[in-house]
Amino acid sequence: MSIIETRDLRKVFRSVKRTPGALGALRTLFTREYVDRVAVEDVTMSLEAGELVGYIGPNGAGKSTTLKMLTGILVPTSGYVSVAGLVPHEQRMRNARNIGVVFGQRSQLYWDLPLIESFELLRAIYAIPPARYKQNLAEFTSLLEMEAFLSTPVRQLSLGQRMRGDFAAAMLHDPRIVFLDEPTIGLDVVAKESIRNFIARVNSERGTTFILTTHDLADVERLCRRIVLIDTGRLIYDGEIERLKEQYGTHRTLVVELCEPCGELAVEGAEFESREGNTARFRFDRHEISADQLIRRVADRYAVEDVSIEEPELESIIRRIYVEGYQDPDARVAAVPAGAAPA
Amino acid sequence: MSAAAAAFLPYREFALKAFARESTYRVEVFSNVGSVVLRVYLFRSLWTALYAQNAAPSGIPLHAMLTYATVALLMSLILEVDGTRAIRDKVREGTIATDLMKPISLPLYFFSDGFGQTVFHALMILPALLLSLLLVHIDVPSPAALAAFALAFALGYLVNFFLNFLMNVVAFWTLETFAIQLMIRWASDLLSGQLLPLAFFPGLLGRVVSDLPFAAIYSTPLRIYIGELPPSGWLEAFGAQLLWLALFSASAFAIWRFAERRVVVQGG
Repeated sequence: MSIIETRDLRKVFRSVKRTPGALGALRTLFTREYVDRVAVEDVTMSLEAGELVGYIGPNGAGKSTTLKMLTGILVPTSGYVSVAGLVPHEQRMRNARNIGVVFGQRSQLYWDLPLIESFELLRAIYAIPPARYKQNLAEFTSLLEMEAFLSTPVRQLSLGQRMRGDFAAAMLHDPRIVFLDEPTIGLDVVAKESIRNFIARVNSERGTTFILTTHDLADVERLCRRIVLIDTGRLIYDGEIERLKEQYGTHRTLVVELCEPCGELAVEGAEFESREGNTARFRFDRHEISADQLIRRVADRYAVEDVSIEEPELESIIRRIYVEGYQDPDARVAAVPAGAAPA
Repeated sequence: MSAAAAAFLPYREFALKAFARESTYRVEVFSNVGSVVLRVYLFRSLWTALYAQNAAPSGIPLHAMLTYATVALLMSLILEVDGTRAIRDKVREGTIATDLMKPISLPLYFFSDGFGQTVFHALMILPALLLSLLLVHIDVPSPAALAAFALAFALGYLVNFFLNFLMNVVAFWTLETFAIQLMIRWASDLLSGQLLPLAFFPGLLGRVVSDLPFAAIYSTPLRIYIGELPPSGWLEAFGAQLLWLALFSASAFAIWRFAERRVVVQGG
């Protein structure tokens, strides 16, 4: 049985329509017109225990709304949702025992108290058996290198230290599922890497299921095999990252450093992408033209100082999908235009 | 450990943590004590001057009046702690979402957190009392009246808690509760008997005011303390307090269930 399952999950927010201007504000006070905004539309997915899935989408795509429904703090407008066999919004308290949550942007630690006291509080909240608590605390303290600041008040911790504290706090009670909402936001490279190692380790050693929401696709590339892409509330891709890469991987980018600025840039067989100063970028399909051929064509026309070829990164693939929509070659998921209409 | 005791454990922990947290704001606590003592001095001057004009208005002698005013100020050290203000802040900042992801009852959380704060502030009553005794004489009632006062104070504390709770829970709908708070605070200051005994309100107004829920907070325990309410009237007074308590707590829990269902977390 899947540990997380949603079927046709839908959430519509209803808000009072506001008319602009002073008169409009007055009218809003007395008449109630509503506007419906669909935040999540027909999301169907299932996760197996022990999976580590990246849940990706642009701002306002419906990621947080989905997470809130999975954690039981938001009631779906329609559709079915089950987390570890429970319907979260109907059994919020029981569901809470199965899950852990880490928000990069807000801390669940007690601001004024030493870090260790927040952990003590969580021990009481989840009624963690003393032996288990001691063992988890010791393990997380060493994995996340928290020894030095366990007794420092949280408000005096650096962001990196605080995040490590938040990770430990979310996992002391051995949750089966952990939701991560932008867990590495604002962290430096070293801190990011230590957090990623921690996630990977807990996932493989304890079999904890993770849903990772992030804008940092390096997190996803490093940690996840599978991603779920969502845009304007709809699921647009659900599958392996590798498959996405293979599909879009035929496209590469030729980066050309020009000796001098010039006007129109166009080369047969490749698509002009962008130009910044003297650096121009062309996108090409390696089945249609070889890199060698393309470089020669460019060099024939322009004075070239340097060239390099970029392999497609997940980030650029995702960026393309946001703009163009996703076209599935096997049509397993219906192609849905995302953001701007496809050209 | 029984299941019930285990279920209670987190809330005891919340109270202890709130106590520890309050003690980190020492300056604020000391200034509270100072402010109470200053007001004891002002009230002594005010009432003494008023009584010089008109001996014993509404039948309360000066010494009882000064006792009333001083005990009311000492009580305010506890009753002005609003543990439920956190509801408003948490809703506005969106952190209520994180709390709802924990296996706890939030009304009980706010109560225990507020209680922990209260206990810390209650410790400040002793220094405030000792300093006040330098300024005024405070009557000490019979042990029976003192016990009845303590009970009425406890009930008043609970009524006050749920009244605050109801005011703050409005934030789920309006996000801002300042105007409502201010209105109810003014009404409460005047109508609870905190500033002056309700016996000062004339005729019909006086009867209406003493039947309002605000009277259960300050007026009832204070009237017992200064002996204005004789032992024969105690039971009825407790009954009225219990009635308000039942009404307010029932509506608080009912409204909470609604509120929880309509969490639209800000900036999530």
